[in-house]
Amino acid sequence: MNKTIFIFAAITILSGCGATTSIDEYRPNTSVMELNSNESLVILGRRDAGHYDTDREFIRCVANKMQGANIPVMPEQQFIDAIYPWFEPRTAPKGLRRLTRLMQDPDIKSQVDRQGVRYLVWLDGSTQTLEQGGSISCAVGPGVGGCFGYAQWEKSAVYEAIVWDLNDFSEKGRLRVDSAGTSYLIGAVAPIPLLSPVKKDACNSLGKQLKKFFTSEE
Amino acid sequence: MQITKIQLIASVFALLAITGCSSTAQVQVAERQFPTVVSKPKAVSAAIIFDKQFRDYVATPNKNTSIEIGAAQTTMLSNAFKGLFSDIEILSSKDQVSLDNALVITPSVREVQVSTPSDTYLNVYEVWIKYNLDIENSQGDVIDSWFMPAYGKTPDSFMLSKTNAIEEAAVIALRDAGAKLLLDFYRIPSIYNWMLRERQLGAEQ
Repeated sequence: MNKTIFIFAAITILSGCGATTSIDEYRPNTSVMELNSNESLVILGRRDAGHYDTDREFIRCVANKMQGANIPVMPEQQFIDAIYPWFEPRTAPKGLRRLTRLMQDPDIKSQVDRQGVRYLVWLDGSTQTLEQGGSISCAVGPGVGGCFGYAQWEKSAVYEAIVWDLNDFSEKGRLRVDSAGTSYLIGAVAPIPLLSPVKKDACNSLGKQLKKFFTSEE
Repeated sequence: MQITKIQLIASVFALLAITGCSSTAQVQVAERQFPTVVSKPKAVSAAIIFDKQFRDYVATPNKNTSIEIGAAQTTMLSNAFKGLFSDIEILSSKDQVSLDNALVITPSVREVQVSTPSDTYLNVYEVWIKYNLDIENSQGDVIDSWFMPAYGKTPDSFMLSKTNAIEEAAVIALRDAGAKLLLDFYRIPSIYNWMLRERQLGAEQ
């Protein structure tokens, strides 16, 4: 009986730490995007906002999800270095008109062609802590120590992905993922963290959906 | 005996915690991290003077922070200048200039500023490097003194030591300096006018 109550309580607490994720998609058509064997795509983070940068860890996470489907993904830094300084925060094209103008420079165009990059996937967004509550305090004394109390915080991850085709300088699709969840830290002698995987969920959803742009697998 | 052991462990922990919170940072920016530029240089000659002070520059944005950027900024700006001029010499003093009808450019650092999350309450470290480019012709006449600010910030400060974070932000600022130079140098009105004059003189001869 006690065991059943314990399992029920654990399931209730852990399910409270889940994240709610929604994804919006826009594509002119649902056909799979063409990608030849010698072509690749690169996932780039927007870094021109004042108060946040699209973090590299998230970009690597999405890139890993794509590579799982045998889609060749060039590492972000490798592409940025190969084309330096035209994809730095100051110089990176923010729109297709600017990209088209940039690619009119034969040196830049040939360098991009040499890299074999067909699609640019721009990721823009961040994960933020919105609200925090509760309090927890820890103390250590000779031979004894522990944490007591309870803390909670709410996290929100909002990311947008835009796919540009370098063959005809057009936008091929857009995705937006919103993920939110509450994490808890319970101090019952030892601190017990119950973390909501907000960023991981956002990455999984975005990666999975983006993969569908380039493959026919479900 | 047991209490002594616990006290020792507690002292070590306290010491580690206090050292971890130390606010001094001595940063050395490695010079290997800079890519070459993708740019077709214009048919302009230039002598770039990186004097000893510039090559060995150590910025002290505040009393707790020092950043060795001399070697890195010399490499970075050398790369960027090579993308601007077809004929270039990189020298350590003006009396070594051998090119005729060339621009003589002496970069210097005006100021370096650093901001940390404890200053701004933002989750980023930021570095500003303010350069000055003194530009003369090969006769020693002043063409311009161009102010060139560069900026870099870390994506976030999570799990980064202050030293690593400032180095990362400084590297991004140096890359930004290269980008700014390539993007804006030929937009400086006095440089544009100098090029027009040189072209006219060339056509007349």
